[in-house]
This record gives sequence, C-alpha cells and structure tokens, in this order.
Amino acid sequence: MAAHPDSYDLLKSIIHLSTSSIHIETKLDGMLQTISDAFESDRCLFLRPDKINENGFLSRLTSEKKTLWVEEVSSFNKKEVLSEEEDLLCPSFVCIPLYDETSSQGILYIGFSKSRRFSPQETDLILLIAKEMEEVIRNVHLHQKAEQTISDLTALHEMGKAVTSTLKLEELFELIIATGLKTLKAKGGVLRVLDRRTGELEVKCSLGEYHLNPLDEKIAKRVFHTRTPFSLHHFSGEKPSLSILCAPFLSKGKGFGTLTFYDKEADPPKFDERDFQLLLTMANQMSCAIENALVHYETSEIARQHEKRVKQLSTLWELNKALLTTVNFERIVHMTLTAITIGDGLGFNRAMLFMVSEKKRILEGTLAVGPDSAEEAGRIWSTLSQRKGNLSDLIAQIQPSPETNSILNSIVKGIQIPLEQEECILSRTVLEGRPFNIRFPYSEVGIESESTRSYRTDSHREGWLQIHCERGCSLGSEVGCYVSEHLSRDPKVYSFATMPLWGKGKVIGVILVDNLYNQNPIADEDIQFLSMFTNQAGLAIENTILYRNLEEVHQELKETQALLVHQEKMVALGELSTNIAHEIKNPLVAIGGFARLLEKAKPVEDPEKQFYQAIIKEVARLEKVLDDVHTYTHDESLAFKEWGLRHILEDSLAMVSEGVHFEDIQLVKQFAEGLHKVKGDYHQLKQAFSNLISNAYQAMNGKGTLSIRIHPILKNGSSFIRVEVEDTGKGIDPENLHNIFNPFYSTKDGRLGLGLPIIHKIILSHQGQIEVDNHPGEGVTFIITLPPLAGGDSEEGGKAKEQPLKIVLEASQ
Amino acid sequence: MKKILIVDDEENIRFLYKTELEEEGFMVELAKNGEEALEKLPLFKPDLITLDIKMPGMNGIETLKRIREIERHLPVVMCSAYGEYKQDITTWASDAYVVKCADLTELKTTIRKLLGLL
Repeated sequence: MAAHPDSYDLLKSIIHLSTSSIHIETKLDGMLQTISDAFESDRCLFLRPDKINENGFLSRLTSEKKTLWVEEVSSFNKKEVLSEEEDLLCPSFVCIPLYDETSSQGILYIGFSKSRRFSPQETDLILLIAKEMEEVIRNVHLHQKAEQTISDLTALHEMGKAVTSTLKLEELFELIIATGLKTLKAKGGVLRVLDRRTGELEVKCSLGEYHLNPLDEKIAKRVFHTRTPFSLHHFSGEKPSLSILCAPFLSKGKGFGTLTFYDKEADPPKFDERDFQLLLTMANQMSCAIENALVHYETSEIARQHEKRVKQLSTLWELNKALLTTVNFERIVHMTLTAITIGDGLGFNRAMLFMVSEKKRILEGTLAVGPDSAEEAGRIWSTLSQRKGNLSDLIAQIQPSPETNSILNSIVKGIQIPLEQEECILSRTVLEGRPFNIRFPYSEVGIESESTRSYRTDSHREGWLQIHCERGCSLGSEVGCYVSEHLSRDPKVYSFATMPLWGKGKVIGVILVDNLYNQNPIADEDIQFLSMFTNQAGLAIENTILYRNLEEVHQELKETQALLVHQEKMVALGELSTNIAHEIKNPLVAIGGFARLLEKAKPVEDPEKQFYQAIIKEVARLEKVLDDVHTYTHDESLAFKEWGLRHILEDSLAMVSEGVHFEDIQLVKQFAEGLHKVKGDYHQLKQAFSNLISNAYQAMNGKGTLSIRIHPILKNGSSFIRVEVEDTGKGIDPENLHNIFNPFYSTKDGRLGLGLPIIHKIILSHQGQIEVDNHPGEGVTFIITLPPLAGGDSEEGGKAKEQPLKIVLEASQ
Repeated sequence: MKKILIVDDEENIRFLYKTELEEEGFMVELAKNGEEALEKLPLFKPDLITLDIKMPGMNGIETLKRIREIERHLPVVMCSAYGEYKQDITTWASDAYVVKCADLTELKTTIRKLLGLL
C-alpha cells in the first residue's frame, strides 16, 4: 500500500459531499475525486447501467451483485471481457455493483496503474464509500420520483381544475386536448365521442393531422369496443416512427368515447409507462367531466327544444285565438294566410290558398296574401315590426282590403286546376293528402308525417314538370308561370312548399307558401309547424263553411216556415170562409133570387123597381167577394191544357167588357204574332187576366188608356211569354205596394181586395212571375211572364214552387 | 110536362127554385134532404133532379150514389154554393154542376139542355 488514507478524513469528506446540497453529478464527481485522491488510483469511474453492455463481464457482475477485486490483472480471466471493456483492465482494479432494493444503479470502478493489494481495512473503507454512493444515488432517484409524482399530481390537479371550469362541450374538449398535450408532452391528440343517434365515433376535437390517418380511427374503434386502453410504439423499418397512447372514456362500465395522444416531444418521441398511466388517470377523470357536460348539453338541448315548442305552441295558440274571433269565411281565410305570412307567426313571405270544389272537381284559387314586390315586402315588414300587442289581436285587426287588391291575389283568384291533373303539385297535394317541399327546381321532397322519407318521382323530372307548362314551371300548371311572371323571375328556380288543408276527414284545400323575397330555405321543421297550424286552420275554415251552409239552410228554413205559416193561415181562412160562406151564400142566393122575381114583376115605371135593382147589384157583389175568398183559399185541382194566351186574353177582355161600356177608355192591344202556347188552366188564367183588366178599368175611373201587350222575351237563356197590362190610373200608393199581394191586407178605405192575391197565386201556380211597374199618379203596369210550352210543361197539374216576388219601384217624377 | 125534384136543405132556396121553375113550366116536387129525396123518387118519378151537396144527414154526394143505384140514367144537376167537388162529381156521376147564384139563368139553361128542350 503506497498510502493509507486517513479513514476518518476520507469518510468525513465523503459524508460532507453526500449531505451537501450540490447537484448529483457534481456530488458523484466529487466523491470519485475523493476516492481517487485517497487511494491514489489512476482511474475512478461511475458506470451507469445504460453504459454497461449486456454481454460483458460488468453485466455479469451487476446481475450477480458481486464485487470484483483484482490485485493482479494477469490472474484475471479475460474470457468475458468485451473489446470496449478492455480499456478497464488496469493492472489492479475494483468493480463494485451499486443497487437499491429493486434495480441496479451502476458500477463503481477504481483502477490502479500498478498491481496492489487491498488490505481488509481498505476493502471495508471502499465498500463503505460504495454504500454511501448507493445511498446518494438512491436518494436522488427517490427525490426525482417524488418530484415526478408531484408534477404528475399537479398536472392532474390542473386538469381537474380545467375540466370542471366549463360545461360547454366544445370548450371542454379543447381544454382536455390542450391539457393532455401539455402533461404528456405529446405532439398531437384526437378526442372522439359517440354520437348516440348514429352510433358512430365522431371526432370532437383534435390537434395535429393525426385524425386523418385511418389508423387513428381503427385504434379508437378497437379501444372503444374493447374498453381497454392501448399503446403502440413503432420505431423500426422504413415507416416513420410512431408512438400512440389511447384510452377509452368510460361511464358506468360503458364506453362513450376515446382519447388518443401521439408522439412525445422528446428524442426518441416515445411515451413511457408513466405517460400511459397518466393518460389512464386523465381519461378517468375526464370521463366524469365529459359525461357531466354531455348531460348538461343534452339537457340544455332538450330545454332549448322545449322552449321552441312552447314558443310554437303559444304562437299556435295566439293564431287559433285569432281564428276563433270570426265565423266569416272570407275573414278566416284571410287571417289564416296572414298568420302564415306574418313574421311573428309562421313567417313565410307569401301564402296562397286554393280551395277544393267537389262539384266541379277543381282547385280554385281563393286568396293570396303577400307583397307584390321586394320593395313592398320590405315596407310591410318594417311596418309590422313597429306594431305592438298580441299576435292574435294583430291578426284579428288586419283588414283584408289592401292586400286583397294585390296583383298576386287577382292572379291566384283566376286560377283553376282540375283535380285530376296529377302532374300539378297542387292537385297531388290534395289527392295524396301530404305536403310537398320543392326546395329547388328539381329537388322535390315530400314530407311524411312519421318518417321523413324523401320522395322521388320515377319519371324524369323535367318531363312531368313541363307537361302542362311550356316554360317548365315547377308547379306543372299556370300557377308557377303566373306567379313568377309578374316577378320576372325564372320559374325554374322557384322554391315553394304545399300543404293540404284538412277539414273533417278530407282535404278541403291547399296552401302554397314560399320565401320568394328573403330566399330563406324552407326547412322540414317549418313544414311541420305549418302543418300544425293548418290542421287548426283547416278545421276553422271547415267550420265557417259549415256555418255558412247552416246559415243558408237556416234562411231556407225560415222562408219555409214563413211559407208554412202563410199556408196555415190560408187553410184556416179556407175553413173559416167555407163555413161562413155556406152560411151566407144560401140566404144571399135566396135574397138575390127573390129580389130578381120582385124586380121582374114590377112594371118599368114603378120607382120601387130600382130598389130591387140595387138589392140585386149588391147581392151580386157579395157573391163575387165570396167566390174570390173561396178561390183564393181552395186549391182546386187544375185542368192543365195547352192554350194560346192571345185567346185567353181576348176572352178575359170580353168577359170584363160584357154589358159595360167605357166610352172614354181607349183600348190598345199589341199582340205579337206566332206566340208559343202555354200550358195552364183556362178558367184560372181567364180569372187572373180578367181580374187584372177589371182592376185597370176601375183604376182609371172611366177615363184613360188601357194597353195590353203580349210578346216573347228571352230570360236566363230560355224564352218566356210576357204579358203587360198598363193603365193610366192613379197608380198604387207606394206605402201599399209591398202588400198588394197579401190577402189579409186591406187598403186605407178598408176594402179587402182579393183580386191581386188571386192573380199572384194563379200566376205562381203556372210557374210564372208577376212584376209591378208602378208610377204613382201616372198609372201602373203589371208584367206577367209565363214559361212557354217547351219550357214549362213538366208538371201536369202540379203546384209550382213559390217564387220570390219581384217588385220594380219607380219614384214619381 | 117535365117533372123536377128539387133537393135542398134550405127552405128559401127550395121555395125560390120552385117559384122560378114552375114559372118556366115545370112540375116541381121538393125534398129537404137525401132521405126524403130517395123516398119521393119512386112516387114522383122525376125527369130531373137538382141536388144540393151540403146537407145535414145524407149529403148530396151520398144521395147521388144511391140515386144512381136506382136510376142509372136520370139527369142529376148538382147545385152547390161553391165549385169545390166539381171535378170529382162531374167525372163519375152527375150530369151537370151548377154553382148556386141568385141569378138562375145558368141553372135554367142547364136544365133545359139536359131535358132536350133547347
């Protein structure tokens, strides 16, 4: 031994170094230097585990944990020594493997240029120092591990803080990727979440281009389905190196997504086991956060939908409230279309209504609401946006007048489409009872109520679109052309939707909507909303139609009732008059008969003769009154035969003029030649005309002109015979004019005139009409029109339906 | 001399008809209802009957039916205050129908026609 180091000083300096707070490398260097100085060695080295070749003798020493003491190199078995290890073969050397509880820490090597012996004291001392070095390295490792753990924990804490900081899904995904990238020092990452509707994994967030690699999706799917984390490190061959870590997001044993990171920012870019564990911990932690956020997202999505529904429902409610304000068809139709076009309502630009006419089997344009031009649209919208108040009030207040005069409305009102024209979308909407959404010229989409099956026509579109429109308008009818024409747009790029209007169990019309001015696309959702509204509107419209029919029927009923009451009066009057007349007539006949006998017996010069004559005359008058009452109140069976009116009028004239001379009355007869015969009862017609002529004579009070004219006329496309009886009397007092045909009406002088009611009744029973052209103070003309044989011979002896009486009034001049 | 049976429930009418028709040269017998008329028919053997329709007891129409059972071809003139059954009666049984009137011209003319005196 050349020198004996002072073991106390040596240990003191070693311990001093070991406990100092200097860096581990410096510490080890210092310790090696101290050893070298103390033992006067030539080389003193600390060989790290990664510098030790596996097949060499150093490796064997490490695995055997055996200390090697070589005092004379020549005695050392060099068989195991590798070439690079030959350098270490000094004449004398020591190799001490250092290790902690689990693994090797390296080898302490001390080499001497001369052979030497190691005293037991030196051996102990070196081993002691080696132990100290072991301790130092172990401490450092522990320290490093602790620091690593702390940094991991910090990272996780940070991540935990980050992921709980937001409930917004997009933000959360970005945060997860960013934090993961930072913690793992990865170059890129991909986050996928399961789309519940499609059942596919969807990339929600990614950094780098890794998600474009098909391998990425493959790995993600595998990890997702197996619910097992996966790592892959690829560093050989010609392919670029690759390091992948992938972990599933799990919730209650079910996977709902994956998190993948790529390539560590290190050389080599390889993740180690610790990174993998960290990722797993991260994924666990994030699962909860993502799940929370997903639940939150879904909840708010549902809430948003609910809110929308509520808004739609309240809009519907408002609109329906407005619809309930009226039962007038025109108003309700206008309100419906207004509701569809108003911004707060359904918000379409224009709406057109076509109603089904069952009788004619056509669709009739009924109403259109919407501006005629884009400028007008803007003006209307700005006015509407300034209005305030309830939607229902707003709609209920809108008056139909201004819009109904629009060009669009007049065009739509002129449109008629046969229902059988199946090429036309409007007809098809009725026939198939479903909406159509024509998004662009050739992409027609039908909306099914249950499934949104897209509709395709078999034939080439252009074909059926153009069948009835040379210009190829997509409605397949005039509508598209007309509607588009005045807008000077190409009908081929006209997008619109149609909606059937359901009444009770049947389609009663079609509503056509478009967004011509703002060009907003019509979404399926809009159609659904429209459908909800039109279902209500359809019922309301149906109701107004029913109400209108009901009113008509009610009116008819009222008229029928009035007629019945009238007829009942007649029956009552008939019974009464029959009874009374019998009681009166027999004595009257006796009185009149005996008066005639007495009068006959009296000589001409007897002054009493004229008394009898007066009795005879008055009795005759009474008999006439009784006969009139009887005729009016009894429906005698009529003998309908063919008669020439001319003949009947001549007979009537003869009957009235019999024995009477009106010297100052001029009779003017204008009878047309070649008149058709009429079918009727001779006696009744004669009674009617003789009554008319008799009235005329009486009205003129012995002086004037009586004109009787007969001529054919054309009325409602068929020919009639017209008889005019004109006098130049006083005319009829306008006050009485409306009651002249009323049998119970007596004039001011108290006389019950049954003449005109009888005429009226007879003419009506002959399916004719009677009109009065009255000129008070100048005269009156009675105009009777009778159907000729050709037109009026249907009901033999039947009673014609009572027709409304037409009275022509003319004020006196 | 032609014989006429006058059937009417009104005494004054019977009296008036009797006076007027006797003045015309007919032999007149009276009956105040259907039953009396049927009693007198085989005894009086009239050439013509004037028959009122509305009578208490057996009315004119019923009486006409019974007369037709006995005398199928005897001329019968129905006399009534109004023409209510005119169509029915003339088509099946009676020979004439005259609406009662203070002026008996029509009745007399009808009777003469039926008896072949015109």
